[in-house]
Amino acid sequence: MSGKKTSSHIKPVLLLASAALLLVFSTVGSARAALVYYSENYAAEVTVSSIGVTLTENGEKVGFRDYTHKNDQWNETEGTLLSNLLAEGETLEPGREYPEKLAVANSGTIDTYVRVIIKKSWVDQEGKDTTLSPELIDLHFTGNGWVIDENASTRERTVLYYTKSIAPGETTADITDTLRIDPAITGKIKETVTEKDGYQTVTTAYEYDGYSLYLEAEADAVQTHSAQEAIKSAWGVDVIISPDKSLSLR
Amino acid sequence: MRKYSDKKIFVLAAAAFVLIMNLGIGSAMAYFTTYATAKGGAKIRLGFTVTTPEEKVVDWMKHISITNTGDYDCYVRVKLFAGAEYQEQLTYTDKSGKWSPGADGYYYYSDIVPAGGSTEELLAGVENIKNAMESTDSQRDFNVIVVQECTRVIYDEQGRPGADWNKISDSNTSTYTGEEGGGRS
Repeated sequence: MSGKKTSSHIKPVLLLASAALLLVFSTVGSARAALVYYSENYAAEVTVSSIGVTLTENGEKVGFRDYTHKNDQWNETEGTLLSNLLAEGETLEPGREYPEKLAVANSGTIDTYVRVIIKKSWVDQEGKDTTLSPELIDLHFTGNGWVIDENASTRERTVLYYTKSIAPGETTADITDTLRIDPAITGKIKETVTEKDGYQTVTTAYEYDGYSLYLEAEADAVQTHSAQEAIKSAWGVDVIISPDKSLSLR
Repeated sequence: MRKYSDKKIFVLAAAAFVLIMNLGIGSAMAYFTTYATAKGGAKIRLGFTVTTPEEKVVDWMKHISITNTGDYDCYVRVKLFAGAEYQEQLTYTDKSGKWSPGADGYYYYSDIVPAGGSTEELLAGVENIKNAMESTDSQRDFNVIVVQECTRVIYDEQGRPGADWNKISDSNTSTYTGEEGGGRS
């Protein structure tokens, strides 16, 4: 009877001990993973590692969001595009190319992969008008290091991924170089027919007159460590990271 | 007693499992990400491109000039119609050297006519028509009609101006909808 009692005490103790060991090992595993995850510079840079991204237009910063270690705050601003497109008194001429060099800079302290989402549309005082074609806004993509995700892109939206990682302080190749209104816009007319006293009056007006072309750009950045998992988690996209660290869409 | 121990073990094991799972979730959420945004627009004013002809006849000579009364710079061309019988009797004189005949019967003005500006004169002589009529017994009234057209200056990629006389107005409309956010937003 005494032997049986001892045995019944040993079993729970063993099970408890194994649960405790499992718990301890799981913590060790996590700690090891964290060390790998923070790279070999972990010990030296753990207090200064931060991510940041800046969107530039014709070499000027137009929007950024950088992590600061002061009170866990983000240093950020939403910028304005096309504010310097025209000189004082100049009007937007269909067919003419205007410089519009968009790029992304790494304003953090860790290497990142970046993608950009660019939307173009026509707006008036009532908002976006989707009866007008965004294709008449000809934003020329350079293709220099940037690959378009055709599956995620539409007539209005273009999603591009930079195929290389960018180091802190570095800027990507230009995403776009010029902006142009398709001259076909001057052939787009709107006819209004009115009848009065038996007479029919046809009024013709430019369909796009008084509208504003509108651009929206969003630059997303993610860490290069465990990049495939990080990109899947942050952007929901499957990518391939080659041994030379180049990124391609799956 | 045994029943109580089993329950305790089960609770501890469950707690350990939950702890382990939580550790995994914590690790998955620890990726560094950020984003930056910018947006802006530029207004386009297409206005109207309208030209008005001015004609006066002095000594059997039509003095034709075109004034740009529209909002934008344009190119102009003119064509005169005197009827099939007398069309070849029309004579043209251009003192400015800026009017040149095209294969389609139009006279093209080489310079851009700025908004508010006018062309130099194109002189169209109708004296030969008068003489041809006077030489016959069947004298009639005749009318010479001036048709003038304009096209807004368009620019190529390098900002060089040009004219497109074959442009066709398009009143078709299409809407993009669905996930792109159709209609006004």
